[in-house]
Amino acid sequence: MLTPKVAKVERGRRKLAVLTLGAIGLAAALTAAALAAPNRTTVAAAIYVPTDPGYVVATVPARDPAEVAARQALAAAPDRLDLAVELARGDLQRYRALSDPRYLGRAQATLGRWWALAQPPPEVLLLRATIEQSIHQFPEARADLDRVLAARPDDAQALLTRAVVATITADYPAARASCAAVARLASPIVVAACEAPLDAIAGKADEAYARLAKLVSPRAGDAAVRGWALTELAELAYMRGDTAAAAAHASDALALDPDDAYARNLRADVLVASGRTADASQLLAGREQIDSHLVRRAIAEHQLRGPDADRLVAMMRERIAAAAARGDRIHLREEARFTLDVERDAVRAVRIARDNWRVQKELADARLLAEAAATARDSAAAEPVIAWRRSTGVHDVALDRWLARLAAFEVMP
Amino acid sequence: MKPGVLAALALTWVAARPAWAHKPSDAQLRLAVEGDTIRGRLDVAVRDLDGALGLDADGNGEITWAELSASAPRIAAYLEHRLVVSGGDGACAQAQGTGALVALSDGAYWAVPVSATCSRTPRAIEIGYSLLFDIDAMHRGLAHIGGQTVILRDPAPVWIALDEPRSFASFASFVKEGVWHIWQGIDHILFLLCLILPAVFQRRTQRWAAADSLRDVCKEVFETVTAFTLAHSITLVISAVGLLSLPQRFVETAIALSVVAAALNNILRTVDARWAVAFALGLLHGFGFSSVLIDLGLPSHELIGALLGFNLGVELGQAAIVGALLPVLFWIRRTLAYQALLWAGSGTVAIIASMWSYQRWVG
Repeated sequence: MLTPKVAKVERGRRKLAVLTLGAIGLAAALTAAALAAPNRTTVAAAIYVPTDPGYVVATVPARDPAEVAARQALAAAPDRLDLAVELARGDLQRYRALSDPRYLGRAQATLGRWWALAQPPPEVLLLRATIEQSIHQFPEARADLDRVLAARPDDAQALLTRAVVATITADYPAARASCAAVARLASPIVVAACEAPLDAIAGKADEAYARLAKLVSPRAGDAAVRGWALTELAELAYMRGDTAAAAAHASDALALDPDDAYARNLRADVLVASGRTADASQLLAGREQIDSHLVRRAIAEHQLRGPDADRLVAMMRERIAAAAARGDRIHLREEARFTLDVERDAVRAVRIARDNWRVQKELADARLLAEAAATARDSAAAEPVIAWRRSTGVHDVALDRWLARLAAFEVMP
Repeated sequence: MKPGVLAALALTWVAARPAWAHKPSDAQLRLAVEGDTIRGRLDVAVRDLDGALGLDADGNGEITWAELSASAPRIAAYLEHRLVVSGGDGACAQAQGTGALVALSDGAYWAVPVSATCSRTPRAIEIGYSLLFDIDAMHRGLAHIGGQTVILRDPAPVWIALDEPRSFASFASFVKEGVWHIWQGIDHILFLLCLILPAVFQRRTQRWAAADSLRDVCKEVFETVTAFTLAHSITLVISAVGLLSLPQRFVETAIALSVVAAALNNILRTVDARWAVAFALGLLHGFGFSSVLIDLGLPSHELIGALLGFNLGVELGQAAIVGALLPVLFWIRRTLAYQALLWAGSGTVAIIASMWSYQRWVG
């Protein structure tokens, strides 16, 4: 056995050896950092030149002769508001069909001559509000819609858009008033679809579901109205915890319009909620250009540990970085969801979800903030959602579950 | 229903369902100064060029390489007319090279080499950029120059100073983040606490007794803290530069488990050499620190500075905690209060940290 003194010397040497090793390791790591540093700068991607003349470089909407003619006519007579409005509407339709925000910018540019006027014509204000709403500038959209309605109180388009914007920003009395005003102008199914999210948030999901379900029939309204009503039905069913009905309604909506990104997301969410993650991923496969599809598919594949997971996660990170480089904060909902489910950084997810809640206050946003806060065990962060639930009386299976979990943490020491 | 309402509803559908998608229209302009010359490349989306110039000759919705190369002169004229790069304080001869394709995340871009040869070494770059704004009001040019990115949102010329001396403020902000992180990171603090709690009560060959001199205690604590510092610095650097990255769930759970281990070691006294515990488990904590640093947006050109600053901050934060605590511990080392703190405190920490481990693992 070693005498205490020898043991002490022995220990001292060992200590010295490990600390030296550590210092060498640190030096090596710093050197590696210095060497790796240039690789982290934004490196330009490699260029290529195709050899096949028929190689398709990019796809764009096929040329529409009427649009070309209208553009030429507008170029010849830049003051023609009717042409500009028609062209901007066309851009918005393309935005809708392709979910490509490029066409929002094109619509804005087409209206450029009237866009920044102190008193733009009502039709320009309405289009401007639609564009603002699409890029989540809700207060601006609301102000423009109020101006349109001051000039044209019976503009159904403006009333419905105002109802949507007011619902998203939690101004429920204004949304109700707009839906009520629509009742004079449109069929009952439109009014029911307009009021469905309001009733749902007011804790009357059952009544809203029954009312809307009765009105949805193959002969009610056109396909767009039916699709809209079906997604509202799916939302209501999902809220009530009836995933089977929610799945069926979302499928019906999707059958009416396969390009309806909203219905597709809804269907995917319902599939995930009922444990069919692989089917959800399948539903979104090949549509990753759309951020809200990409984020869902990346999360699904990540959870399934699928072969595509790494590529999709990298794509989503790239998308978020690209938006940040532009200074855009439009992806907050998707970003928070991704940060929570894939990056597993609940604290950061709470921050993003809270920023998101300042902009939009739909049920999905409430669920997101509640889930992030529960995961981060940060009850203070969920305060706005708790207050919102108290003031509205909303009942939602998912939201209630997360808030209950959060309350349970508070009780724990 | 009135026809007007029908048309309106089709539009409302757009309004009601904002499914933001794709990247919006961005062009990338990367520039660097080499001697008297500014050199770089401009990447513009082929779809955007089609919007401005109509590249799809047959109008079938597919832009082929043949159609694109036939339009190359028109593209070159458009870009030369709408992008002006100069040195700011002297005349520069601008030239654009032959275009080629580059595949970015959202499709094919037209890449054009850009150069501007100036009469003297530029100290700033002036960019006059007026691409696409007239057809897409949401278009943005993103100019990347020496680690900074400038967003070009209108045709007004933008002036970018070069070699802006990296301010001390930036280094200081990383130091601050480091201090802040250790103070906020209760798991790091508890880990450190568990390691220094027994320092005032040392083993003498076979039995335990209160330490006699503050000097010995300080020495031991210094060794422990240094070992922790070295270990987490190594892994912090390794993961911050991307040499090795571990899933956050594993890291966070492992950090919680390391706190359990340190706390249990105070009760079970398995390992006497706490500096060894500090070193081995400290490696885990470095991975945790790096996620914070990456979140801050690690600037590549001052990586080392940022790492040093952040690490220095972590050490200062640690030192403040230890410095405040150690005299108190030394003072109460012979009392029952200390024994209670050592045993009950370690036990409580072990339980809490076990719960964390579970929660972090199940997410």
